[in-house]
Amino acid sequence: MEMINIFVKSIFIDNMVFAYFLGMCSYLAVSKTVKTSAGLGLAVIFVMVITVPVNYFLENFVLKKGALEWLGPQYMEVDLSFLSFILFIAIIAAMVQLVEMIVEKFAPALYSQLGIFLPLIAVNCAILGASLFMQEREYANIGEATSFAVGSGIGWFLAIVGLAAIREKIKYSQVPGPLRGLGITFIVTGLMGIAFMTFMGIEL
Amino acid sequence: MNVQSNSYTFIYASVMVLIVAATLAFTATQLQPIQQANIEKEKKQNILTSVGIECSRDEAVDKYKEYITSTYVINSKGEAIDGEAFNIKLAEENRKEIEERQLPIYKCNKDGKNFYIIPVRGKGLWGPIWGYIALEGDYSTIFGIVFDHKAETPGLGAEIATGWFQAPFKGKKIFDEAGKLVSIVIAKGGADPNSLHEVDAISGGTITCKKLEKTLFESLIPYESYFKKNNK
Amino acid sequence: MAKLKNLLTDPMNLNNPITIQVLGICSALAITVKLEPAVVMSISVLFVMAMANVIISLLRNTIPTRIRIIVQLVVIAFLVIIVDQVLKAFLYDVSKQLSVFVGLIITNCIIMGRLEAFALGNKPFPAFLDGLGNSAGYGVILIAVAFIRELLGFGTIWGFKVIPQPVYDFGYSDNGLMILPPMALIVVGVIIWIQRSKTKELIEN
Repeated sequence: MEMINIFVKSIFIDNMVFAYFLGMCSYLAVSKTVKTSAGLGLAVIFVMVITVPVNYFLENFVLKKGALEWLGPQYMEVDLSFLSFILFIAIIAAMVQLVEMIVEKFAPALYSQLGIFLPLIAVNCAILGASLFMQEREYANIGEATSFAVGSGIGWFLAIVGLAAIREKIKYSQVPGPLRGLGITFIVTGLMGIAFMTFMGIEL
Repeated sequence: MNVQSNSYTFIYASVMVLIVAATLAFTATQLQPIQQANIEKEKKQNILTSVGIECSRDEAVDKYKEYITSTYVINSKGEAIDGEAFNIKLAEENRKEIEERQLPIYKCNKDGKNFYIIPVRGKGLWGPIWGYIALEGDYSTIFGIVFDHKAETPGLGAEIATGWFQAPFKGKKIFDEAGKLVSIVIAKGGADPNSLHEVDAISGGTITCKKLEKTLFESLIPYESYFKKNNK
Repeated sequence: MAKLKNLLTDPMNLNNPITIQVLGICSALAITVKLEPAVVMSISVLFVMAMANVIISLLRNTIPTRIRIIVQLVVIAFLVIIVDQVLKAFLYDVSKQLSVFVGLIITNCIIMGRLEAFALGNKPFPAFLDGLGNSAGYGVILIAVAFIRELLGFGTIWGFKVIPQPVYDFGYSDNGLMILPPMALIVVGVIIWIQRSKTKELIEN
């Protein structure tokens, strides 16, 4: 039950894009067409679902104070949490490049669709944000952490596909010249953000 | 040398990780005592601020000795137990069941009056938030309050650490007339000026305020029976 | 020489990291409610970016292509953590200000973006200038947005009241909407609008 709760919450109420404004750069830069944005969205879901559980293990068995207890009682006091930023980001970058290599080797068709987006994901702050939220919120088990990751990924996917759909329609509108392209995208995202604020504060 | 070969890549990565980890571990361990001292001084400073004693961090150590007359640790039944209040880490206690928690109280004597300072801690929007509440002798009226946070949004949630947000807490009561623990409500859209249990929220910092309200309530619950017992 | 100068001046307008390259948006949203954090963030980014650009530029011929992203991220995170640790020990008050931004600096894609686009292919000195120029261009937008939002949202500049009381008595009130994050997007959108009206060649079709 708790897992479904976290899942729905992280899609709508705690939406990475609209509630926390994470992952904005690639969100704005790669939302020209629905097709490419869906590709990037899928890649984000994919990487998030891999990195959050991996970082969850890292947090609970290496970094947290007392996490090294399994090595022996004398490690009870070791606190490596100052390394968490650098390790999380290293895991993410490593995973992104690993995924890139695997996909390239075994599914060239998918690679040609996703390929150029994968390196972008390493710097997508929504991914690191997901790992840091996982650390902060202290999810009880790996299942909760994973359903949080899936939900956040899907939330990000929905947001970018929604924006891309609006941008495709805007092409046929009379937007003032200087506002065309990036300018109107910023404003549309702002308006979408205001609309999403209606979800804020809903308790599940 | 072939920069792209597998073995080079592997060695490069390993050497980099080693250098980075070693340097970080070295600085972290070398600087930890100084950082720890800073944190302790700040904790003392915060405790003093909650009873309205302003001082610099370096003065805090002496002033703390001067004003904090005693500290004790209680459990949720309100009985005194062994322990050193200042060394209790609230983050760890909050993970335990309420019955097993060690609850610190700092007793302060200022201008001939006794105040009881209890720490609060919980989660904010981005990271932990914590603070100290100074209660008057009736264990209900708030004499002063101080909050701090690790990573709330600057200009919004982070405002909980500022005076204008904290000042209205003074004089509010955490128990209602019937003797029920109601804590303090942080009211969005403005507090009822006649209410003894409400303060204004920060516009734009709603989530932090909600979390702070929850933090206050949950941190006060374990002390409830002690407060009731001693407030005759 | 002119080329070196362009490295500093281009990012201010023609190649601004926020309004043209679309980099570093997340932090631009998070910390532009008030002027002070915006300035602190700009200075931190300036420092980290110049240092990281130089380091990556020095290492550029030794980094294997396949792990370059990891190397870049590790260098950035390493710099930020070291700075934060040292500040925590010796300049505690500054570190308290900065601690909120540590995560934001590491994930700021503007740093990573410039490492990838410039430092990997250029000598240390131009890379240093590129870092300075881009972080300044980033800072200019950040400070402009923070100025507008603080003025309209709180009626203050750097925490000081600037809108006089009679104006409020007359019926003016602070615009609470400006404080909410979506308004940062809209303000940046308007800044882009103004910039592109002035510089016609930037208009997209």
